[in-house]
Amino acid sequence: MATEISAIDVDRVAKRFGKQTALDGVSLRVRRGEVYGLLGPNGAGKTTLIRSLVGLVAPEKGTVTVLGRRMPELEVLAHVGYMTQQAALYPDLSAEENVHFFGAIHGRVDGVREALELVDLWDRRKSVVSTLSGGMRTRCSLACALVHKPDLLLLDEPTVGVDPQLRVQLWDRFRKMAAGGTSILVSSHVMDEAERCDRLGLIRFGTLLAEGTVAELKAKAGVERLEDAFLKLSEVSAQ
Amino acid sequence: MSAMRVRAITQRLLHQFRRDRRTLALLFGAPLVILGLLGYLLRGGGEVPKMGVVNIDGGPLGSIIASTLESSKTVAASSMSQADADARLRSGDLAGYVLLPPDLSVQAQQRRIITPEVHLEGSQPGLSQSIVQSVSQSFVTLASQAGGVRFTPRITFLYGGPNFDTLDYFGAAFIGLVVFFLVFVITAVAFLRERGQGTLERLMASPLRWAEIVLGYMLGFTVLALVQSAEVLAFSLLVLHVHNVGNVALIFLLEALMAIAAVNLGIFLSMFARTEFQAVQFIPLVIVPQVLLAGIIFPVSTEPGPLQVLSHVLPLTYAVEGLRNIMIKGADLTWSSLQIDVGVVLGFCVLVILAGATTLRRRIA
Repeated sequence: MATEISAIDVDRVAKRFGKQTALDGVSLRVRRGEVYGLLGPNGAGKTTLIRSLVGLVAPEKGTVTVLGRRMPELEVLAHVGYMTQQAALYPDLSAEENVHFFGAIHGRVDGVREALELVDLWDRRKSVVSTLSGGMRTRCSLACALVHKPDLLLLDEPTVGVDPQLRVQLWDRFRKMAAGGTSILVSSHVMDEAERCDRLGLIRFGTLLAEGTVAELKAKAGVERLEDAFLKLSEVSAQ
Repeated sequence: MSAMRVRAITQRLLHQFRRDRRTLALLFGAPLVILGLLGYLLRGGGEVPKMGVVNIDGGPLGSIIASTLESSKTVAASSMSQADADARLRSGDLAGYVLLPPDLSVQAQQRRIITPEVHLEGSQPGLSQSIVQSVSQSFVTLASQAGGVRFTPRITFLYGGPNFDTLDYFGAAFIGLVVFFLVFVITAVAFLRERGQGTLERLMASPLRWAEIVLGYMLGFTVLALVQSAEVLAFSLLVLHVHNVGNVALIFLLEALMAIAAVNLGIFLSMFARTEFQAVQFIPLVIVPQVLLAGIIFPVSTEPGPLQVLSHVLPLTYAVEGLRNIMIKGADLTWSSLQIDVGVVLGFCVLVILAGATTLRRRIA
């Protein structure tokens, strides 16, 4: 039974901020152990959707279910890892202290070393965050999001401002975690990253335009490149 | 030096302020509020100190002095029995009373000397001074009529004493104020930094409950605040030798309560600011009126009536009064006046804890 429950189940969720419609009836489902890519331009509603998954945004309409629990619910968040768009860390604490802190508030501190090793920061663990480079901070932020070994990992544009080499490394890790049973939702507006996802959801103007594997989306649009598929599918829905 | 580049910076600053309505409102509103308050406080026709006149003089002089005092505009004098005067002095209702002894007229005639007793409450030097002045004044009038009579009042103090100086009076209040003020600012800024660096978002996406966040913050800053309170107290008593006849543990208790209140006030008010910059602006609006109205500088009993009402709503008034009760009068928890002071400060703590918690919860939802 447990394996049948989706990691994420978003059902016709709508949210407005003032007159701005952020989400306009989005429905999507992320399976257990899957890497799901949320693809869309800036301002498409990706961040709002991810924030609604952790209860930071209360939808006006529709329901959000995470790991089988109807949101908002605090307890289930102990099994969710959330990496915000900017590397949200305490600049006066060391890398290790940051990771330990976020582990502690999620109720697990046994994975600090593993998390820091995973992002290649174990040697720099004593360094105060404000002295780390941008890329290191991003990695530290990722370590903070997965230190408690979450069942579901939410990554909001984790590779923005990350150099290509590090990006490849990070994606290797995402894939490894997924192979270990972790479900991952990752938002991006970079097409070559999308190719690494099991399934993709194309989001624009707060609506999910299309959903499927890379191959399915290309076939649906009848084009060779994912980028073209995205543009074509956007046009179709705009009409 | 390029005029264009300098102008670019100036212009950018003005543009930024135009967007920041809150800062503008404070920048132009706060000075008027503060100066208005100060003006009203000083020129608003405040109350004069209350004093009693106990006239048991067998001769005619006592009545003359008593009626001179009663018609005085610098004190509100009324005649009463000595027992009554003593009781009202102890309760803090009177700032002092003058006793005109039975042989006043006789002494004045035979020895050409007048020796009234002036009994002062003593905890507020400003009020004591007004009373001594008014009493002297009433004799000046008399002396000009009688001629050649010497005036040598005997002054006694219920609290403090002749060596009691301004620092002794302000010291008690400032011990509390310094802690309250610094802890408030540090907490508010720390909480805003949490929001600015994005870690608050992370905390709220974790299983942390609002109460856990507030409690964790409170304990962390309370540790700092208590160390600071102890330091301030030790410095005041051991280095500055501020007058203290009360229990040091009790002073520390009241200080600790104020620190806890300040932590939570900081958390609560940081909800209404978006940046650290804006939080700093709360200082003139939150702190300055309290400093003016809490009786730290101007005794509450001599404020204009409406301001007295306001003063009695401010928690700092009770904290200051409590500290003075302990340090100057040697009050302990059996005194009903100190019970009220501690009770109000405690109640304020609970109130700001709840206020901070509910606003934080609303932010999350």
